[in-house]
Amino acid sequence: MAKTTAAKVRHHYSAGTIIWEIIKYASVILCSFIAILPIVSCVITAAKTPEEYQTTNVMTPPANWLNFSNYLEAFKTANMGTAFRNSLIILVFVLLGSIIIGTQLAYVLNRFKFPGNALIRNMFTFAALLPGIAMQVVVYEIMTNLHLVNTMYGYIIMMCGTDVMSIYIYIQYFENLPVSLDESAFMDGASYFRIFYSILLPLLKPAIVTNLILKGVGVYNEYYCANLYLQDKRALCTVATSLYTFTGPLGSQYNMICAGVIMSLLPALIVFIALQNQIYSGVAAGAVKG
Amino acid sequence: MEISKGWNARKKKQLQVIIAFTIVPLFLLILFTYYPFLEMIRYSFYNMKYIGPRKFVGWRNYVQVFTRPDIIRTLLLSLYYMVGSVVQVALALYLATIFCFKVKGENLWKGFIFFPYLINGIAIGFIFKFFYTRGFVLDTVLQVIGFDLENLPYWLKDQKINNWSLVFTSIWRYMGSNMVLFLGAMMSVDDTLYEAASLDGANKWQTFRHIILPSIKTIVTLNIILSITGSLSAFEPPYVITSGANGTGTFFVVMNDIAHTSQKVGLASAMAVFLLFVIIVAKFVQDALFKYIFRNADTDDESADVARARKKAQKAAARKAKGGA
Amino acid sequence: MKGRKLMSLGLAAVMVLGTLAGCGSGSSSGTADAPADSAGAAEATAEAEGGEAAGETEAADGALTYASVVLGETGTDLTATIKVLNHRTDMLQDSYPGTSWAEYLDAFHETYPGIEVDIEGITDYAQDSLLRLQGGDWGDVMMIPAIDSSQYADYFMPLGSLEEVSSLVRFVANSQYGGVVYGIPSTANAQGVLYNKKVFEQAGITELPKTGEEFIADLKLIKEKTDAIPLYTNYAAGWTMGAWDAYIGGTATGDSAYTNQKLAHTANPFSDPGDGSGAYNIYKVLYDAVAEGLTEDDYTTTDWEGCKGMINRGEIGTMVLGSWAYSQMQAAGDHPEDIGYMSFPITVGGKQYASAGPDYAFAINNSSSDDNKLAALIFVKWMTEKSGFSFNEAGIPISTADNDYPELYAAFEGIDYVSDDPALEGEEDLMSTLNADSELNFNSGGDKKVQAIVEHASNGDMTFDEIMEDWNAKWTDAQELNGVEILY
Repeated sequence: MAKTTAAKVRHHYSAGTIIWEIIKYASVILCSFIAILPIVSCVITAAKTPEEYQTTNVMTPPANWLNFSNYLEAFKTANMGTAFRNSLIILVFVLLGSIIIGTQLAYVLNRFKFPGNALIRNMFTFAALLPGIAMQVVVYEIMTNLHLVNTMYGYIIMMCGTDVMSIYIYIQYFENLPVSLDESAFMDGASYFRIFYSILLPLLKPAIVTNLILKGVGVYNEYYCANLYLQDKRALCTVATSLYTFTGPLGSQYNMICAGVIMSLLPALIVFIALQNQIYSGVAAGAVKG
Repeated sequence: MEISKGWNARKKKQLQVIIAFTIVPLFLLILFTYYPFLEMIRYSFYNMKYIGPRKFVGWRNYVQVFTRPDIIRTLLLSLYYMVGSVVQVALALYLATIFCFKVKGENLWKGFIFFPYLINGIAIGFIFKFFYTRGFVLDTVLQVIGFDLENLPYWLKDQKINNWSLVFTSIWRYMGSNMVLFLGAMMSVDDTLYEAASLDGANKWQTFRHIILPSIKTIVTLNIILSITGSLSAFEPPYVITSGANGTGTFFVVMNDIAHTSQKVGLASAMAVFLLFVIIVAKFVQDALFKYIFRNADTDDESADVARARKKAQKAAARKAKGGA
Repeated sequence: MKGRKLMSLGLAAVMVLGTLAGCGSGSSSGTADAPADSAGAAEATAEAEGGEAAGETEAADGALTYASVVLGETGTDLTATIKVLNHRTDMLQDSYPGTSWAEYLDAFHETYPGIEVDIEGITDYAQDSLLRLQGGDWGDVMMIPAIDSSQYADYFMPLGSLEEVSSLVRFVANSQYGGVVYGIPSTANAQGVLYNKKVFEQAGITELPKTGEEFIADLKLIKEKTDAIPLYTNYAAGWTMGAWDAYIGGTATGDSAYTNQKLAHTANPFSDPGDGSGAYNIYKVLYDAVAEGLTEDDYTTTDWEGCKGMINRGEIGTMVLGSWAYSQMQAAGDHPEDIGYMSFPITVGGKQYASAGPDYAFAINNSSSDDNKLAALIFVKWMTEKSGFSFNEAGIPISTADNDYPELYAAFEGIDYVSDDPALEGEEDLMSTLNADSELNFNSGGDKKVQAIVEHASNGDMTFDEIMEDWNAKWTDAQELNGVEILY
């Protein structure tokens, strides 16, 4: 890539280069330190016994790094087993739903000229500007009337429905797929549905991965609507809402709270380590094709 | 005749697929976005609670939005977040530029800086309540580097500083994603340009100025403008860390409070409509600004730099070829 | 190319807007809304339909009321599972130092083995319970949230006439509407001040303070002579600040009609009456304590759960909380004997009063099945009469047959309890209307305004009189808006 070649070429180091190197690494290390400090402090605190937490400074390393008792306790208190299961179910269905809905709509918008095409695009663009917070007043009313409150499928349907951004990413990728592709398939007698499912959809994989990541992060971390619509906090808690349990009976027992926080980060961390580059390109997707 | 019949059949098939593929997303969009939006506009003219009688009050709620000092104050609060977002963009730009050059352990550093973006809001609330508590994480670290606890402010209590504390959490959370966004744009620049610049003896600033900056100008400008609009709707940092108490209540937090605690649904709706209006105006200004800034983007400004760099690259390549021979 | 560029910009725009605002498609705030007409109508139809089916059983057994249930006889062979929404999440923890829900339920099952009780604790009860109520799917028993009393009949099962129920249960005035009772208080509290006896001793305080000035002087003594925090505000938890509102009625005026009848009709109720009484002198204690540096160092990071152990260990001198907090403070450490309770330091015409009133009241879903209604009523009556819940939580006895006051009430000897009268007929919803319109929300979640007293006192950017004038102005505006007649 660019950077490797840029640096490889020169081998003698001028004073400027050395200063630059120092500034470069100092900046990077300082920023990294600031970025992980709050998280590291949680890891430290999560390994402390209640006595240790009371008596030592928060940044003093714990006596035993492998003290998992807070994790076990937090896991039980916040009902995190159920929370992880629910979050997984929600993720799977919301992602599936939003992929189907999003790709189909993008396909139609990109491939066909029809009255209303521009209108639909504008509707989605404008929707992104609407302040969602205040509208929940009415959305709650709708959800109540449809008997979707306090059900997992109700929440899933709503989360599929609020998706706006992914459509843009799909349309952008469709523009890169030549129309001649569908044209020749159509001439061969394939239906539009078949063209979409067996020819275009597989080619859309990069855009789908991008959306999976972006939407996945959003859904996994979403707590406001989850708190509002998944009201039975024992049976229907998600990872984000289960954390909220800690504001109640545990008060400021941060050794326990930190354990809960760290556990809630673990799935994200694992996925992040496994898919680091896809995640970066997902986040950068909006800019790359500029 | 045959052709037109085939054409009609094709149109019919198209219509089928159009309807089949648009009906669900449109239904959801209207149900969960547009219908609530129109209802919200209607509510903004009423004095009403969630349940109980509703009274039409005309523009009274809007008058309140403009005259209540506490609401006006929240608009001033968004200035903090605007400054914060500019800092965020600048920092992201700086780090992205650094990562454009060779950095040992690049993936590790990038991972550290980006990871906060993946943390959920509630967890961030806990993390930073802990972080800012007197004598806890931040104070400890500052003491290690020589500050005296006596001289340190109370990060969440002192009203001169607590909004900056909250803005910091927002920068902490989103700076990494901005950085990756910019880096993506920078990486889309042709490799040979960097190579050429380097061969040509261009220093880091020149490389940044003539190669990196042009490639990301659009996305950076857009980010700054959007950050400013986004500042108006800042919600999560105060909501999860201070519950909006102690002078940290932003527009959305106060609106949320008015809607919840006092159940003034009408006033809260009017606030939302007002905010939407501001955002729409900002969007028009932004579009106009964009057209102005990039009016000739494709011909002179940006591509001139690129062309110059490319010429240099060609020259350099020629020199190199000569030297090699 | 150009089009694609714009499209990608649009995408980036959406992304950035989402991330910066922190509330894109995902994390939007929410509120409940079920319009009275539609929800009410639905309930009414359900009631009408259910009513006919239920008609026969009711005719056979007589109407199901609180009085008609005889514990140990009624429904002992009933099999049902009822769901109870409750605010006491701490009691669901095994580590709860008092009697936990599990222990109560074990005792309940000795008499009623067939009735399963499923208790769901809600962390943010005041707000979430409203959502649950309006969502409809909340179970069989809940603690009545802050709704207008005229709405009770839409949601809750009538438990009997006011006359009949009040002969069995104290403090039902707030959970009735139009002479019909809908809720049974879980416990009742007197409003006073928690203190640590040892800290008072160390500070040389021999006589409990009777006025705000004496109290502040005592706090200064504590600050001088001990290491304890003289007054712990519990600012961060929010609701613990809203708890100050409970003192402005009976405690501050000695008048049982003040809270529900007179306050709404009083001109400038937050002005200084000049005799040391009234709401003004309640909140002034808080302002002065903070302004004089007699509270904790950093109010923004106060810790509600932590404060219990702190006062138990003598690290806190006083806290202004209802009597319900007493047993929790005792149980939180090794020094239960050090926890004391006293009346609020305010004197009205030479006498001290203490507001006494109901805590959250149990109410039963009027759309539950008949079996569940019966099981729920049995459970509620058992909680009231047999569980010892109110006593264990240091409450004033609820059942009129029970005169066993926990020992802390000895501190109230010579002090008159004042229990609020219900609102006048036709004005049942007036207070909640004024509360909402003024946004002061007394006794209904107006935590922010009390927090603001702490903030202004700490920053010194607003004098106490200015704050009270501001409240007066808001109250007057709300009164004018609703055309309320000024009578006092």
